[in-house]
Amino acid sequence: MAQPTSLIQYSGHEHFRSRVVLSILSGRHVKIDRIRSEDKNPGLRDFEVSFLRLVEKVTNGTIIEISVTGSAILVKPGIIAGGPVQHECPLSRSIGYFLEPVIMMAPFSKRPLLLTLKGITTDEHDLSVDLLRTVTLPHLQFFGISDGLELRIKKRGSPPNGGGEVQFLCPVVKQVKTINFTDAGKIKRIRGIAHAVRVSPQFSNRMIEASRSVLNRYIPDIYLYSDVYKGEESGKSPGYALSLLAESTTGALHCSEALSEPGVVPEDIALKATRALLSEIERGGCVDRQHQILVLLLMVLGSEDVGKVLMGEPTLRTIQFLRDVKDFFGTSFKIISANSSDPECKQLVFSCYGTGYINSNRTLA
Amino acid sequence: ALDLSSSRKPKRKDWTKLIYTTELTPEQILNGDKQEAEDIQPEDDDDFFKVKAKFVEIDDVADRAKESPDTEGLKKWEDEDLLEELKRLFITGTDET
Repeated sequence: MAQPTSLIQYSGHEHFRSRVVLSILSGRHVKIDRIRSEDKNPGLRDFEVSFLRLVEKVTNGTIIEISVTGSAILVKPGIIAGGPVQHECPLSRSIGYFLEPVIMMAPFSKRPLLLTLKGITTDEHDLSVDLLRTVTLPHLQFFGISDGLELRIKKRGSPPNGGGEVQFLCPVVKQVKTINFTDAGKIKRIRGIAHAVRVSPQFSNRMIEASRSVLNRYIPDIYLYSDVYKGEESGKSPGYALSLLAESTTGALHCSEALSEPGVVPEDIALKATRALLSEIERGGCVDRQHQILVLLLMVLGSEDVGKVLMGEPTLRTIQFLRDVKDFFGTSFKIISANSSDPECKQLVFSCYGTGYINSNRTLA
Repeated sequence: ALDLSSSRKPKRKDWTKLIYTTELTPEQILNGDKQEAEDIQPEDDDDFFKVKAKFVEIDDVADRAKESPDTEGLKKWEDEDLLEELKRLFITGTDET
């Protein structure tokens, strides 16, 4: 077994955030080199530098060295401090890019985190603040992280100019619970949030109507909410989006979203989000694709017991994450088909033995 | 990983093995292990210096939570029969398919 302080090395710009998060959580140093070294504009991008700055603010004693060309970094993790933190996100990525990795670390802080992030609230690359609030945070509750967990959307900000603001409140835990979630259940309700800022408020209603035209056949319990933000609260750029989530009888959540594009009518945006939700439901499992790595990480950090979760096929990101987790924590998962007698079955059961991770940063009350 | 190429019939993937004991990239694991034969060019010994064909355009947003939308894949939901078939996954649906 490797020494806890030994250095872990990676190459390339991919999986950047999760590697930094794993370093902070495990306390192991990480070096990432050849970051876009073949690109005509080599090195870190502004959003990656900004993410490293945010990590410095959330932690205490973390040393991050960036090479002169910006194509290599070395992270020496400190402790996760928490407390009140403010951060201005660059407009090249949405708040979701920054918040997603913070959500992975925040429960293990010294003090409860109160994070204010400013920037773009919805974009096409990362989860919007609506899905982070309604889908990502409930995933933490499976692991016993719930009291005082909140995401407040103060202002919305569409690309390109943003102007949005959110507040993330996260309690600290001593240890996360072991999860045993292998019954996907059946979809019992669908919820949705449609928002339209700096454009006609009718756009929300048009999206809701189009989405209902597909979903109404399935279940009566559908509530699509038109979220209105006015004046200062609606940010600096026009835009609209529809975020959808489906909840099963056992609490499994599947989500999807689509946001406005130039030259596309709101009805088509709504249909895109709705069909993406159907694809997500069809894939099945207890965890949707965007949340695989969060759930797998918390399983690794769980108490010393076997955790089990039913999921669909892993995504590219998940496959690399599983390998990275093994580098940092030495934990590997057992991945077996949920139904070994059916060769067509694409459902997989992921199980692992938790590391019994204890939040040693936590101050005793 | 020896029997990967020999058995042609569709076989269930052994994910644990593919992820932890092979050197395959995540893309190769998901899309099957295709040998990229066209990429291997014959060695040209005449030129001492080699100019890289071009600067590679690197995907800036590779580290993202949402995958790029699969517009083609979503088209299947225009089919009324498929929409009906999905009812089995809802509480109002029945188990028989």
